[in-house]
Amino acid sequence: MLLNRRRMLQLGAAMGAGWLLGGCRHPLQLGLDITGYWPGMQEGHWLRGNTPIPAPSGERKVGVAILGSGVAGLFAAWQLARQGRQDILLVEGPERYGNCAAGSMGGEPYPRGAHYLPLPSLESTHVRELLFEMGVIEADPFGERPRYDERVLVHAPEERLWVDGRWQEGTLPRIGMGADELAQQQRFLDFVAGLRERKGRDGRRLFVIPLALSSSDPEWRALDKLTFAAWLKQQGYTAPGLLWYLDYVCRDDYGAGSAEVSAWAGLHYFASRGGHAANAENGAVLTWPDGLNPLARHMLSRLQPQQRLPGMAVRVTDRGRHVEVDVFDVRQGRSVRLLADQVICAMPLHVASRVVTGIRDLGYDPERHALPHAAWQVSNFLIDAFPEEPHEHPLAWDNVVYGSNSLGYINSTHQLIRQGKPAQSVFTAYHAYSGVDPRALRHQLERASADDLYEIAAQDLHAVYGWRWRHYVKQVEITVRGHAMSTPAPGFLDNPGLKALREADGRIRFAHADLSGLSVFEEAGWWGSRTIA
Amino acid sequence: MRDRLLILSVFVVASCGLAYELIAGALASYLLGDSVLQFSSIIGTYLFAMGLGSHCSKYVRDDRVLATFIDVELLVGLIGGLSALFLFLVFAWASAPFRTVLYALVVITGALVGMEIPLVMRVLNQRKTAFADIVSRVLTFDYMGALAVSLLFPLVLAPKLGLARTALLFGVLNVGVALWTTRVFRKELPSPFAQYLRGGVVMMALAGAFIASERLTAFSEKAIYGDEIIHAESTPYQRLVLTKWKDDLRLYINGNLQFSSRDEHRYHEALVHPALERLPWARRVLILGGGDGLALREVLRYPNVQAVTLVDLDPAMTRLFSTSAPLLALNKGALLDKRASIVNMDAGLWLEGDHGVFDAVIIDFPDPSNFALGKLYSLPFYRLLARHVAERGLVVVQSTSPMHAPRSYWAINKTLQEAGWQTTPYHAYVPSFGEWGFILAGRQGGYQPPQAYRLPMRFLDAESTRQMFFFPPDMQPVEVEANRLNNQSLVHYFEQDWSRVIR
Repeated sequence: MLLNRRRMLQLGAAMGAGWLLGGCRHPLQLGLDITGYWPGMQEGHWLRGNTPIPAPSGERKVGVAILGSGVAGLFAAWQLARQGRQDILLVEGPERYGNCAAGSMGGEPYPRGAHYLPLPSLESTHVRELLFEMGVIEADPFGERPRYDERVLVHAPEERLWVDGRWQEGTLPRIGMGADELAQQQRFLDFVAGLRERKGRDGRRLFVIPLALSSSDPEWRALDKLTFAAWLKQQGYTAPGLLWYLDYVCRDDYGAGSAEVSAWAGLHYFASRGGHAANAENGAVLTWPDGLNPLARHMLSRLQPQQRLPGMAVRVTDRGRHVEVDVFDVRQGRSVRLLADQVICAMPLHVASRVVTGIRDLGYDPERHALPHAAWQVSNFLIDAFPEEPHEHPLAWDNVVYGSNSLGYINSTHQLIRQGKPAQSVFTAYHAYSGVDPRALRHQLERASADDLYEIAAQDLHAVYGWRWRHYVKQVEITVRGHAMSTPAPGFLDNPGLKALREADGRIRFAHADLSGLSVFEEAGWWGSRTIA
Repeated sequence: MRDRLLILSVFVVASCGLAYELIAGALASYLLGDSVLQFSSIIGTYLFAMGLGSHCSKYVRDDRVLATFIDVELLVGLIGGLSALFLFLVFAWASAPFRTVLYALVVITGALVGMEIPLVMRVLNQRKTAFADIVSRVLTFDYMGALAVSLLFPLVLAPKLGLARTALLFGVLNVGVALWTTRVFRKELPSPFAQYLRGGVVMMALAGAFIASERLTAFSEKAIYGDEIIHAESTPYQRLVLTKWKDDLRLYINGNLQFSSRDEHRYHEALVHPALERLPWARRVLILGGGDGLALREVLRYPNVQAVTLVDLDPAMTRLFSTSAPLLALNKGALLDKRASIVNMDAGLWLEGDHGVFDAVIIDFPDPSNFALGKLYSLPFYRLLARHVAERGLVVVQSTSPMHAPRSYWAINKTLQEAGWQTTPYHAYVPSFGEWGFILAGRQGGYQPPQAYRLPMRFLDAESTRQMFFFPPDMQPVEVEANRLNNQSLVHYFEQDWSRVIR
């Protein structure tokens, strides 16, 4: 659903001077071209049965139907295509590329979802295979230290933090922090560094990406019984800078703060990222101007045109001899029925539970097993000049504001090799709605105007650049994802419903980051790759 | 008599008020560019501040009007008088808050000046002068003072005294008015002695600044450059300043010396000929940076060179060096040569396109003093470059100083090597730069420095060339990391190396 502010202005002007009054509420954005984008919202209404769906007008036989073109679905399709399978069909779903979607304004590409990938761990062979095929890994793809294409390793300066009106390097707050604060920060960092190589009683590392390969040592799994915030308190961590940082990290990765996510998940973030590179330091990340979209595009490019189908699955029923999949194409207003030998359900579980007939019989009860969802807002600002920055702290790739409940902003042209500043760029500001009642929030977000969203969208940019920010912006697009991701709330590790779906090995299999409970690229890809193994 | 003195002081005060306004406007348009915008916003702000001052004047108690007038004069003299000098210093040492300081000074000076005329009118009013008479005489002299300065400033004061000393001169006039008024009205003032004292202090401060301004400017305006400025221009990318002293033309970019016409031949001969002398078959040459056309001038001396492409980011730079007469004399009109094609584009962007291969590439970028420039000295950049160079072709890179910035110099060498180039480092002494470094790179090794040159040279011969390729013990290679984009070690090396050299 698209809602263009310029059109609203024209409408308002025709109706009188009402828009002027509206504009006065937001003086900083008067005359700005703001577009709101709610991917999947309309489709969600169809699924909830608010609108009748036409009966299928034809049947088509397929070997493997992959339902959903997010990271999990694309990984499955890519692996099958590489094996030379012809009889596959990717049903693209409401939004092509899912959380790896991208857009462009004024010719500048930008992410509408995820924007970076950490150096893949040794165990993430599926991700390394993909990067090697793309040429991003140049040498030694499965070794301890692969060599990466430097153009996609984040260039210096990587990140900076705005603390009380000044910039500092890195996102862990240092400026003006007392000795006790710094000591606690060090204690935490030392602790998680020690966890990285530590193994449980079953001989597996405690925290691994993919999560399924982590140790099942009950002593450590017990961390999943309490929240990260509760665990931090228990361990005597009280330093406000550190606590803010850890909350920020949780919001950045899981869409929910440290008081909502499981302590196991909070530590997993720090202890599982063990990837190394021959030509970058540990902790480096990979990024592209349009976020992770090039990875998704590459996988999709392996499919023939006839192996793709626009539209979304609205009913999936196992008939024993085959699986019936009704696919509805919203734009064409038509349905088609697929008769598939095998179905890979690569859609979020809240959708799967409406679409897959008898999902309860597989052991998944949405009432009891569904994880909470986080809502995200990804706001893209096209700029035609760069704000002035202090010489000693120039614009970084990731720019974060200390104390903010947003997640800072990314510069899309950071990786370009340029002498001067490019004529245009896109700043992408991220915000995860954390600590708000999700149902009420989604209700509110669905009805919000683009103007209402702008205040949240630009809050970090205004904190840094003040009213001057308005000078640089030409156009804004705000993507609202009501169900952006599952959040790993306490108990997620041993969720029996998720376990059942992970193990489903009949004609219907499941592939989605929701199966892990953490929405990260490697997890989604892992489940996608697993379904075809 | 006393009234007449007050009227005369209106004339002086009005002149001073306008002078500060003109000085601020001239300074802003000189240092920030876009004179219409600068003048109009300075004048607007100044007039608005005067309005504020006039408004505030009503809060002065009747019995304090005269004393306040004198204090205001002293303050205007002090602040206005030192304003230009102070702004130059701010601009020279910290360019970021310059605009803020400028407007703050304009507002303060404007507000104080705005108080003057209302106060004088109130003094005259207290002295029972007819209202019609007051308004008529005060405003007449106010406007006459404005006319006097608006003619004197551009025709006499600014060219003869310069902005800083013009401001000081008007400051002295303000203080003079204050002291004279104190003297004439001493019986009516509550504490004339204190005002004499303050006046004396301010006068001494201004006089001191006036005498020292010669030396203070050593830190500012010309001082940034030293010589007379014959061209100054702020482009979207950089600030270009061209200075001249006798026959020495110098170009500064963002305050850094790019060349001096006295010894640039050393730099450009060393940059171009060790490569081109060895490539008698070279047809196509690429120059990256070098918008001054001086490297191009050297390249065009070879009759075998048929086409040269020069890629420089800033159109203002190539325009300046293809239009200004003294600069055309210096680069021999190289940029206008038939064999040269000038491209104003970001070198990184240009190299991403396909333009065929070149037999020689001359890279004359600014030093890697920030992360953006550092990208032009990175592994991916040198790999990208390889796609544009003929198999037997040569590349030469301006590589900072192996003497003053050894880690930067050897980091560039290491980066080229890691990108798959066979390198040959060398250096030359350029008096205005010091010992300067270059790196020759080819896809195949085995480069040998020339023993003689086919073309006549001013600096290069067999012996000077031999010395260029010899690294004495104090310029030996140091162990460094290659410049990777994810940490940009080169930018850190460069910053640290030079911070040790610059006092």
